[in-house]
Amino acid sequence: MPSFKLNVNNTAYTVDAEADMPLLWVLRDLLNLTGTKYGCGVASCGACTVMIDGNAAYACQRPVGTCVNKKITTIEGLSADGSHPVQKAWQKAGVPQCGYCQPGQMMAAAAMLEKNKKPSEETIAEVMSNNLCRCGTYHRIKKAIHIAIEDINQ
Amino acid sequence: MQKETINRRHFIKLSSFTSGSLVIGFMLPGLPALALSPADCEFFQPSAYLKIDKSGKVTVLVGKQESGQGVDTAFPMIVAEELDVDFKDVKSEIAPYGTLKEGEHDTGGSQSVMTMYDSLRKAGAIAKAMLISAAAKVWNIKETSCAADKGEVVNTITMQRIKYGELVCQAAALPVPKDVTLKNPKDFKLIGKAEKRSNLNDILTGKTKYGLDIKLDGMLFAVAERCPVLGGTLVSVDDAAAKKVPGVIKVVSYKGTGAPMHVRAGVAVIATNTWAAIKARKLLNITWDEGSKNNESTEELFKTFAAKAKTKPAIEVFKKGDVSSFANKNEITATYAQPFLAHATIEPVNFVAAVNGDACELWGGLQLPDWTVNTIAKECNFKKEKIKVNLTAMGGAFGRRLHFDFAIEAVRIAQQIDKPVKLIWERADDIRFQPYRPANYHLLKASTDDKGHLAAWQHHVLGTPVAYMTEGPNTKHPEEMDGADKGFCYAVPNILTGYTPVDFNINRGWLRSVDICVNTFPVESFIDEIAQQQHKDPLDFRLAMLENKPDFKTGDDPGAMTQSPARIAAVLKKVAEKIGWKEARKPNHFIGLATHSFIFAKSYAAHAIEIELLAPKKFKITRVVAAIDCGLVINPDGLLNQMEGGLAFALTQTLKGEITVANSRVVEDGFFSYELLTYAEMPPLEIYIIDSKEEPGGVGEVGLSTVAPALCNALAAAGNRPRNLPIRNEGFSWVYA
Repeated sequence: MPSFKLNVNNTAYTVDAEADMPLLWVLRDLLNLTGTKYGCGVASCGACTVMIDGNAAYACQRPVGTCVNKKITTIEGLSADGSHPVQKAWQKAGVPQCGYCQPGQMMAAAAMLEKNKKPSEETIAEVMSNNLCRCGTYHRIKKAIHIAIEDINQ
Repeated sequence: MQKETINRRHFIKLSSFTSGSLVIGFMLPGLPALALSPADCEFFQPSAYLKIDKSGKVTVLVGKQESGQGVDTAFPMIVAEELDVDFKDVKSEIAPYGTLKEGEHDTGGSQSVMTMYDSLRKAGAIAKAMLISAAAKVWNIKETSCAADKGEVVNTITMQRIKYGELVCQAAALPVPKDVTLKNPKDFKLIGKAEKRSNLNDILTGKTKYGLDIKLDGMLFAVAERCPVLGGTLVSVDDAAAKKVPGVIKVVSYKGTGAPMHVRAGVAVIATNTWAAIKARKLLNITWDEGSKNNESTEELFKTFAAKAKTKPAIEVFKKGDVSSFANKNEITATYAQPFLAHATIEPVNFVAAVNGDACELWGGLQLPDWTVNTIAKECNFKKEKIKVNLTAMGGAFGRRLHFDFAIEAVRIAQQIDKPVKLIWERADDIRFQPYRPANYHLLKASTDDKGHLAAWQHHVLGTPVAYMTEGPNTKHPEEMDGADKGFCYAVPNILTGYTPVDFNINRGWLRSVDICVNTFPVESFIDEIAQQQHKDPLDFRLAMLENKPDFKTGDDPGAMTQSPARIAAVLKKVAEKIGWKEARKPNHFIGLATHSFIFAKSYAAHAIEIELLAPKKFKITRVVAAIDCGLVINPDGLLNQMEGGLAFALTQTLKGEITVANSRVVEDGFFSYELLTYAEMPPLEIYIIDSKEEPGGVGEVGLSTVAPALCNALAAAGNRPRNLPIRNEGFSWVYA
């Protein structure tokens, strides 16, 4: 079985996996980083959103073979203690209900704000519509993103 | 592992409940009831509901299963209120399965706060009384000279204070009082104040362990291929190619079950990781015997509904006066229909099972763990006491995890391998093999008298009942008539309602808001339609049949529910006032209203929805106003979150949610074909909470049922009334802000 060197949350890992295994299952089953969630496996829900070299990516769509020499960030690495501006904003807005989709929501929002500190409503809606929330916390996600925008632009 | 965990179930000895009052009073076996030395006690646990450690930290053990509805916050708030502690010193944990009486872990029907409110208050008050007794002993004063304040007992003579944490060992040694005085609700400091979720930081840092996140030593991963037709059987499987996939350990088959859970016959691939199992599954070559019921379709089902609707209902449900004297007199008739729906939790169902000889240990999210254990014991041949359950957080439930088909499957798979196995349902499995919200069809007839008052009302509901699946087709009560039975809220002198069950070969189950949602859409649409036809104001038309009408019982038994037309009217008036119903409207803007009671959770809600019409069947939702009366509110923030989420859930099924069946197979297979409301589609929402001193009601399901009729009534006001959900099928399209 091939072996791959990965940089996840600034930690070096070596994993033995088939090259086509999606990063999602590498993170969850092999590295026990279960904050990245499985929702669909086909890029339809956004629950597995992580950052790869600062860009939002569906971990279910990235074979591990394509993830070498890249900087992978998961919810566990967004901050050690929930202190990332996006996490603080989610806290302040009291976003979650069941919470299952929220790591993916926050990773999508964090990646968006890395690129654009003052996204327009249209940009926010376009980006965040890739992440489904069955509990329907969209109002609070919106509120939280605006709190985060205010925070990072201070 | 097995032995230790099985024994843990008996670690805490339960006392019996008395007359629905409360537990309280089990002790930890092995510890003496009295004369504990401080070194011997880790914490003070006067009941199954809470423990306090030496640092004064309070852990509330939540017996209802958290799936986003916020019991992990509401329950600690109720306990903390009576205990008089700072909420920041309180955390919540899942009450271990087996520490509560049978049935108490059951979670559903928006019943959690309603049913546990008194017990949780008493649990907090008893703990406080024992801490006060302990402090009184320390100070050698009367208990009446002590008071509790923010996690401390105060000596009201000297004003000395002792922290709760310093009293835990003394308190643990005291007898548990049988009775305590509860606070006067006017003295509440915490209940009614908005609090953030108790485990928020765990969720936000990815630490919360949902069922799918469970990992055990040596655990293997499984996915399963299931018979495409319910009731079919496995003929043969060629697994040679599947077994060659690196990581695959074993391929096993298992039989289906009948009622209550209707597990399909399946073939599971067990592997060292999920991906290997998913890949290998695709290589299975299976021959199924589909059985005879393999050619049913929703297209035919709705034709059957329409044909049967014209005949007398199979079951007469509610009769008042005599509708026949009004037959054909100013009669208005309409039909409404709603499709099968899937729960579509973002965390697909999954389950971990480990079988070791005659013992079995389970991990996962379950809304009805007792029924699960009882059924697994029967279906999989275990003694009930040999089944150990570890409950986890749930990534959404909405009724999906009231069903436990997936748990039975996991056990059947684990029975064939000597390691713990996690069964994962892929998204396509989740959408294709659900216990679906039943499809339903409604024929309504109404007659008005010479003054235009509603004189006769007939409602024939046709459906594919859940009870046919859970209990079998011989069930005595298949009817799904909440909102269309004796609890029908409008004062109409002559009423006849009935139900006709139609069987159909896919599984059905309970979905958030159940038959109240099913029946509120036709009832609130048809009331509106009658008003429109009579050229009456839909608000005034409703209020004339609600206001000044007394509360009434919906049955003769002592436990019968109470219907309150006045509270239904009050939420309706509130949304009408706030949306400006009587005011002039902007050009091309139209408003629809709907109201209801979520009767078995003692809560009432209404919606007013304003649309802007952009083309005859194209619209934008410009305003949504909701009002809710759920009695005393425990956590206003939790209530608002449920109402916001309820709108999203209801809009999904109003606009686009639909499961269709062809050849007895569900056509949709994921979020591309079973679409959910997105961030961009969520309209603005204003929520008004009725200030009420009534006992607390449930809120998890109350924000859904009036959304579809309010939107459809707005579209009707604009010229086209949708009578079939989702409205996309009637050619409606929408744009969003």
